[in-house]
Amino acid sequence: MSEIKPQSVLPAGGTETRSRRSLFFKYFATLFVAAVVPLSLGAVVEASFGYRDQRRQISDVLRVEARSAADRIEAFTDGLRDQLGWTVQFPWAQDDDGRHKIDAQRLLQQVPAIASVSLLDETGAERVFVSRLRLNRMRRGIDMSADPAVMGARANKVWYGPLEYQHDSEPYMRIAVAGNLPAAGFAVAEVNLKLIWDVIAGIRIGRTGYAIVVDDSGHLIAHPDISMVLRGRASSADFGPIKHLVGSTSGSAVLTGYRGDPIVALSVHAADVGWTVIAMQPVKEAFAPIRAALWRSAVLIVLGVLIALALAYWRAHRMSGPIKELEEGVQRIGSGQFDHRIKLSSGDELEQLAVSFNEMASELTVSQQKSARINRLKQFLAPQVAELVEHSDGLLEGQRREIVAIFGDLRGFTAFSTRAGPDVIMAVLREYYEAVGAVTTRHEATLIKFAGDGFMLLVNAPVACEKPAKQAVQLAIDLQAAVQSIAGRWCAAGHALGFGIGIAMGPATVGTVGYEGRLDYTAVGSVVNLASRLCSLAKDAQILADSIVARSVADSIPLVSLGEQRIKGYDETLEVFAVAHRNSPAASIGAGPREGKVVTLDA
Amino acid sequence: MRRRDFICLAGGAVAWPFVAQAQEARKVYRILWVSTATEPDPFLDGFREGLRALGYVEGKNVIFETCYSPGNPQALREFISELRRGDTDLAVSSGPATRAMTAVTEVPVLFALSGDPVALGVVKSLAQPGTNFTGATFLSLELAGKRVELLKDIYPKVRMLAVLSNTDHPGEPSEWRATMQTCNGLGIDPAYIPFAGAGELDSALRTAAGVGADAMLVFPDAVTMVHRASIAELALAHRLPSMFGWCEYCEAGGLLSYGANQRATYYWLASYADRILRGENPASLPVMRPEKFELAINLKTAARLGVQLDTSSILFRANKVIA
Repeated sequence: MSEIKPQSVLPAGGTETRSRRSLFFKYFATLFVAAVVPLSLGAVVEASFGYRDQRRQISDVLRVEARSAADRIEAFTDGLRDQLGWTVQFPWAQDDDGRHKIDAQRLLQQVPAIASVSLLDETGAERVFVSRLRLNRMRRGIDMSADPAVMGARANKVWYGPLEYQHDSEPYMRIAVAGNLPAAGFAVAEVNLKLIWDVIAGIRIGRTGYAIVVDDSGHLIAHPDISMVLRGRASSADFGPIKHLVGSTSGSAVLTGYRGDPIVALSVHAADVGWTVIAMQPVKEAFAPIRAALWRSAVLIVLGVLIALALAYWRAHRMSGPIKELEEGVQRIGSGQFDHRIKLSSGDELEQLAVSFNEMASELTVSQQKSARINRLKQFLAPQVAELVEHSDGLLEGQRREIVAIFGDLRGFTAFSTRAGPDVIMAVLREYYEAVGAVTTRHEATLIKFAGDGFMLLVNAPVACEKPAKQAVQLAIDLQAAVQSIAGRWCAAGHALGFGIGIAMGPATVGTVGYEGRLDYTAVGSVVNLASRLCSLAKDAQILADSIVARSVADSIPLVSLGEQRIKGYDETLEVFAVAHRNSPAASIGAGPREGKVVTLDA
Repeated sequence: MRRRDFICLAGGAVAWPFVAQAQEARKVYRILWVSTATEPDPFLDGFREGLRALGYVEGKNVIFETCYSPGNPQALREFISELRRGDTDLAVSSGPATRAMTAVTEVPVLFALSGDPVALGVVKSLAQPGTNFTGATFLSLELAGKRVELLKDIYPKVRMLAVLSNTDHPGEPSEWRATMQTCNGLGIDPAYIPFAGAGELDSALRTAAGVGADAMLVFPDAVTMVHRASIAELALAHRLPSMFGWCEYCEAGGLLSYGANQRATYYWLASYADRILRGENPASLPVMRPEKFELAINLKTAARLGVQLDTSSILFRANKVIA
């Protein structure tokens, strides 16, 4: 709010767009920080936690699946071992081969994965060979005692052979089992590992994840796509590196699958046979939930940005409208249309501002009317009185106070007025009062009244001043100087006119007198009479003052005592002082430079 | 900038499933079925069933064109020589028809052979075919001796075995050789009765009846498959315990059969067809070998033969008993 105020008082025009844009930016920045940043932060935090959780969950799922596959493979091999175990329960007897052959044939019937089985006696010599493809053999007596299968089974009861590819394509392995009794001999079976496919093919991790089985060198034993296995030894090129990478981490690893797509994989070891089950899932699918969450966050962020943008735009717009209105209103009020009112109903501080502007405008109207009235009053009243009338605060109430009354009038005016024409009289009077008015105004005295060539001034009433006596004397001196300068021109024009001033100081009653419809401010008291008398006594260019004035200004303006004088209306004589002129020391009453021309000073 | 990217991505994400669907729906695959058997063809049915299980609908996204030349691969050869890329998306050859297909190089070919495809020269190895051919082999050669052994197990008294063999069949000489070796080992006198194509079958059957054999072995092959019922009938008429390659023979009246399940193999072949149609290279799809072999016995035939048979030696091993 506060920062946009200065812009609202800028003149309209080119700056309008600038103000709007900067408002927009401020609002956008604020809303961005307020809405978008927390949103983004939230999304980032959610993504990182989500990724961790997802990764852990994927590992768990993969581990469970791989473990279950490994368990099933172990169950498969355990099943083979147990089934083979049945064929080596009884010791070999003389004419026992037929029974053993049937055992072997039953075994083939029961276990589809076994392609052939050899039953050997305790010496390792083959007694019975039964196969699905090749011809059966009886009593052939091939010595297999040096076969690793027989040696392994002899040592550990059970022996799992390495992976072999028949025709370089079909995965086979041999399993040998020794009987519990040494005399029972051994059974060596050839197992078609294609049959493990059933164990693996059923495993689905997610939608497209699966499990594979490889041997130690990465040769494929089982894969949901059996054709991968049938590629024989070539498969290790694809799956060897995967097995190596997955085997080197305890958890799940992200790596490139054999199809070139990124996968998450985890391996579990099937201990019996020494195979590794690798459960894998394409990264694309495994991380689909987190990707979906990221998308959701992105959509929310974009939505948030859009809302913030829209809000900022709307706010800025809502701001600039009233501000323009305010601006226009202020301009019109500034140009003097005080009756203009700003209409705003935004319901906020701007509306308050508009109300304040309107109040200001109405107050401006009132004060303008007041000053117009004062100007009019000032034409008829003393300016100070006019001001007091307007701002009446009790100064015009009747009261008694110490005042200085100044009286002044022209010498020889009566004779002049009878001789001169009215336009000459009015011209002289106009010049005379202009000079009097200027000096009075300068000294902040109050012109109480004037009649013909005489006037009365008050100092210290109604407007108080600090040193009334000094101010009055100074005023009188200036007045004398001003009038004397124009009196010179009058003399040159043949009008013998002089000017005298009387000053008296003392308590008087001041206040307004008159009746309703015509009031005047005046002072009543002997001091007024005394000033008037002193004025009458004064000769041209002379300023007479009473003793109170003389005492009051003694330290700054030198006054010359003219001695005790008898004054009309006073029983006793009063000491009268005259302001000492530089060029004409007022030695006596009635003495002056143009004495000869003055007929009389009596009013 | 960011927003535009997002819209593109969002639009792409929305559009993607439709694109994928459209691509799937657009293509109608044409499969050429080449066979020396006759219709109705249980193998084609097995293959069709496999395709259906994979979501193919005939007439909608797959069309079959069949080319039958019963017992006459030569006639196929001429038809095949016209075959060029664009004529068909995939050729499937059943049995000896594969021999007629060797010249095809522009169209992927799936086969189901009883013989050795490496020996036939259509693939370089079972693990890495390396050509436009791949499929399944039934390992007849290895099973040839096994069949003699099984016949001996059920009918230990056998002395002379009539061996009915179509010389038009690829790998026939080695199959005969394996059979002969086994017979010698088991003390059986084999009577080799070769014939070339369907035309010579009748005379071959007459020969078999008159050779004085006490059992009969019939090599599995398109011609004998087509005429399996009459062959079984002849064996029964002459009280000859008979041994065949596939259970279809047994169902038609033969006594015994031992071999891979043909129909299952063709059913499985459909999955390779699917992969090739979707763009996989047959050169890298290994040739499949069946790991399950069915031993079938027809007890009705056994009863009607009037010969003393040791069915107990077979029954506990049989996968399929027709009673």
